[in-house]
Amino acid sequence: MLQFVRFVATRAVMALTTLVIVSLVVFTLMELVPGDCAERYLAFKNTQGSGISQADIEIERQRLGLDRPFIERWAKWIVGAFQGDFGDSCILRVDIAQLLGTKFWLSLAICLSSLTLAYAIAIPVGIYSAASNNAWLNNSLKFISYFGLAMPNFLLALMIMLASTIWFGETLTGLFSPEYRDAPWTWAKFRDLLSHAWLPIFILGWSATAFALQTVRALMSDEIGKLYVTAAAARGVSGRRLLWRYPARHALGPIVNSLGFDLNRIFNELPIVALILVLTDAGALLIEALARSNDQQLAGAIIFLLTASIVTLNFLTDVLLAVLDPRVRKSIMR
Amino acid sequence: MTDAPDPMKPNLAQTTGPAVDIVETESAVERRAKEAYFTASQSQLIWARFKKQRAAMVAGFLLLLMVVSGLFAPFLSPYDPTIAGRNADYTNGAPQIPQFCDKNGCSLRPFIHGLERTRSIETNFRWVTEVDEDTRHYLRFFVTGDSYKLFGFIPGNLHLFGVDDAKIHLFGTDEDGQDIFSRTLHAIWTSLQVGTIGVLIAFVLALVIGGVAGYYGGWIDGVLQMITDAVRTVPAIPLFMAVAAFMPPELTAEQRFFYISMILGLIGWPTLARRVRTHLLTERNQEYVLAAQLSGASSSHVIRRHLLPSFTSYIIVDLVISFPYMVLSETALSFIGLGLKDPVSSLGVMLQKATSADVMLNYPWYFIPVIFFIILVMSFVFVGDGLRDAADPYSDKNK
Repeated sequence: MLQFVRFVATRAVMALTTLVIVSLVVFTLMELVPGDCAERYLAFKNTQGSGISQADIEIERQRLGLDRPFIERWAKWIVGAFQGDFGDSCILRVDIAQLLGTKFWLSLAICLSSLTLAYAIAIPVGIYSAASNNAWLNNSLKFISYFGLAMPNFLLALMIMLASTIWFGETLTGLFSPEYRDAPWTWAKFRDLLSHAWLPIFILGWSATAFALQTVRALMSDEIGKLYVTAAAARGVSGRRLLWRYPARHALGPIVNSLGFDLNRIFNELPIVALILVLTDAGALLIEALARSNDQQLAGAIIFLLTASIVTLNFLTDVLLAVLDPRVRKSIMR
Repeated sequence: MTDAPDPMKPNLAQTTGPAVDIVETESAVERRAKEAYFTASQSQLIWARFKKQRAAMVAGFLLLLMVVSGLFAPFLSPYDPTIAGRNADYTNGAPQIPQFCDKNGCSLRPFIHGLERTRSIETNFRWVTEVDEDTRHYLRFFVTGDSYKLFGFIPGNLHLFGVDDAKIHLFGTDEDGQDIFSRTLHAIWTSLQVGTIGVLIAFVLALVIGGVAGYYGGWIDGVLQMITDAVRTVPAIPLFMAVAAFMPPELTAEQRFFYISMILGLIGWPTLARRVRTHLLTERNQEYVLAAQLSGASSSHVIRRHLLPSFTSYIIVDLVISFPYMVLSETALSFIGLGLKDPVSSLGVMLQKATSADVMLNYPWYFIPVIFFIILVMSFVFVGDGLRDAADPYSDKNK
């Protein structure tokens, strides 16, 4: 048990180190943006009619702490970030944590649902396809999953919207119906969310399914050819029982391990799909922050949060694997 | 093959007839095939295995077709892809398919019908384009038209096809009257260029970082691995967007193009670097490396002359596989307006205008380029997959 705690602790430290490195990268990028928050704020004030001078910028810079050295500001940012405090947005002048809040959790929930959907489809289909010798089925599955990779998700989103406009006469955009948008959380609001969220979940899950299908199939066809499967078959185990009890359990490890990267891939698609479907979640906010207003504080916070969720998922899958897989468990508890 | 069985012997036991000659040739053919197999170079083996995969071969052919049409895009496309080649009289025009027959009879030379633009009280004073079925514009080959520079430096004005006294738009036109067919061909070329530059930058970075980590091992490897893994966890497209948004807005189209390719390369290296490191880690403990080191070869010599050639084929496969992701990232970036911009033709730029319901319902030909891009990306994926199988010496089933 002690070894297990030590294992979890090591993993946690590694995850934290990764996050610190990522925060350094993100923070450096934010710093590289031409112009800083003080200039941007005062430029905005300038458009409102009040004239500003170089001295005003300097005062504002001091107020925001932008005259401190790089390392100090980074340390302040990272400490804040781990407490969920990202400071104020450069342009919108609101607390970022408040601005993102539910939006981030909503996006995360959508992404995790797509991930679940992808594996709910990929695991049975992948196992079946690896076990069957039907060349036609295998080739068409291969083709479909490559098609899933090649078709950019935003195109799929566009096509579905086109179809919905033609056949249903309404565009499937947004996450809530207008009457629920600002309403407090109720059961009815949740139901309304579900009736809108299936589309982004489906679109985000589409290429994730393609990838997952490839992984599951490749792993299973590697395992199925091995001797222990033949031995089990010789002992009289057959059919579904054979597949699930022997090769599937071996293939489980790498699949659990790849979950983090699948989430990464879904996050990649998120902003663009969010833009097309006019979702008001973190992805769309990111585009807003970057394209429209160059809001580096907000952009940095979103990228950091996305990465943090991936790192957390990686940590959880590592621990889960140690619990599930006796080989990993034994190697920890030597 | 000195220990090959004597072709005479097995036959002596069975027959003394004239069949001996035939048996000998069979054996010799087999032996030659075996000898060819054992003496073949790595690339010959890979090619032999690659040829046996039908899907990969078809994909390879399509890919070659795409690359050639991208290379010769200025010649193959009838008009200039930028605003200079626009047809102001045929904006948002439907595709014109050359035909052989119409109500006035048939002709051997394909033709398209003329167009009439009218505006009257019936059309609510909007310009309406009508097909005039009585005029014919015949298709001609090797016509002179808009001037261009092939490969960027060979000037020319010859185009593969065109029609007399009018313009032909195979895939229709967009809202500015630019020919979508010409733009598609140029966009393929743009994607190939962006992908190539991005992959090359990523490759050089991966080679240096992965090479150092894999060759020296120890704590250097540990630190570099940690950084690589950290960069790998950051979702690439949001990061692309962040970096691309910081691009100074006053850049010209060409500078923007190089900037975007550079970003793609600078963010795309970690996966490749990991692969390079793994290959190096397994190879550097082989005897031939030890032999070279004992003979006094320097580290850089060992890496360049002994280690790199040992996994060139794997690296090429990795490059082919990572290519489509570069292309897709560029498309996505341009689509949301952070990547390439007019006048550069790229799929993302072309689709930017296609998001409104108006365009989707009334001008579906905006989506024709998509088909070509799906073919391009899929053929890259299939070729990469086929190459990976062919380069794997353990994939016995394909031998």
